[in-house]
Amino acid sequence: MNVYVRKNKYRECYMNIKSIFDYRLLGLTGSILLIISQFFSWFSGYSLMERYIIATSVDISNAFLYLFPLISGSICLIATLLIYFKLEYRINSVIINFVGFGFFLIFIFELIPQEIEYITNAGIGFYMSIAGAILIFFHNLNILLTREKSKEGS
Amino acid sequence: MESNFYYALGHDLRRRMIKIIGDNEFSSFTSLKKELKVSTGTIYHHLDALSQLIEQGKDKKYYLTELGKHAYDSLQDNIESIISSDFSKKEFNSPILKSLMFLTPKKIINYEEGYKIYTVIFSIGLLILGLIFCNLNDLFPILFFFTNIFQSFQNTNVSLQIFFNVFFIINFLLYYFMNEIICRLGYKKNENSIKFLLSFSLIFYPTIIYLAIHYLFKELDLLDYSVISILDNILMIIFQVWALWLLTYNLIVNKHLKIENALIISLLIHYSGFSIILALTI
Repeated sequence: MNVYVRKNKYRECYMNIKSIFDYRLLGLTGSILLIISQFFSWFSGYSLMERYIIATSVDISNAFLYLFPLISGSICLIATLLIYFKLEYRINSVIINFVGFGFFLIFIFELIPQEIEYITNAGIGFYMSIAGAILIFFHNLNILLTREKSKEGS
Repeated sequence: MESNFYYALGHDLRRRMIKIIGDNEFSSFTSLKKELKVSTGTIYHHLDALSQLIEQGKDKKYYLTELGKHAYDSLQDNIESIISSDFSKKEFNSPILKSLMFLTPKKIINYEEGYKIYTVIFSIGLLILGLIFCNLNDLFPILFFFTNIFQSFQNTNVSLQIFFNVFFIINFLLYYFMNEIICRLGYKKNENSIKFLLSFSLIFYPTIIYLAIHYLFKELDLLDYSVISILDNILMIIFQVWALWLLTYNLIVNKHLKIENALIISLLIHYSGFSIILALTI
């Protein structure tokens, strides 16, 4: 009996949280975190924007890689805004998120092996971007799973 | 009207009836019975359900109505098979999904029995091409990602060298079994395993195109230019998304998964591939 009551309480709590927080907030928060992480320090105390500016003085095209989190966040933001305005475009939103997220993966894949020694002293920007990426990942899962739940309910 | 349309397409026999009549422009009751191999009562029952899509002419033959022709066109595009009952058709008319559907070799992935041989030839051809381009680029695939981290192991001994030379096929089999296991354990979809396997290598064809482009860049020493290097990365992302869509489509038509579930599988496997490759690189 106790277990049943506790389960119902959890369920009620979950429903309350769900009613307060729109599930699309995950994607929105994630992409905004990714975008603003660009302006906070990553490794060696520099933000990616500063590193981009420094790198442009050497080789403008090589510097472009430092803008990938910003590009990734912006694409994911567009994908999230798409379902804010047109809820029926969920699959399109997931596919756009795939593209946006791809930029972030490429960036991490290029940067992490180079900066692995400094990872223990990583700045707030790095953690913000990781949190943002995780939120976007769960946002995508949530879009697909929420649809499934609503279908089962109907 | 719309609910009738979806109801009519919701049964395999009714879809086949529309296809037979659409392929031949009309059909008699006898030829329908001969092709479908079901009882007269069953055919009448389904013809009744398809009253808005199929009509009987004065010559007693069956013809498609305007709505029926629309249903036939949709079946030809394989769109109905991937739209779940409440999935917005409007979404499928969006430029992104329209272009992805245009780039999907539908008839080869969702092949009919007579065309099996073409799919097999195409699949083997793609595997060989993938193998060749991976070796030419000195790249090793891990799911849809490519790395050169195993290069140092290559010259250690002959068996290891052979193992890395056929890594594309090993990756193909690994990817196939991962999908098959998730479909079986997670969604209880045990059907069409052979059909799924035979058409599975087709999901790699965008990545093979990427490998060919990468090889071209490499041979022309263009990868030394940072612009080309960035372009190469962007191309990889685009071709990966295209390949992921092909995987999703393959899961839908061959494993009969809903589009949402197929996308969840693609998403999970793709990101686990990234995690593996990142861990290996570090």
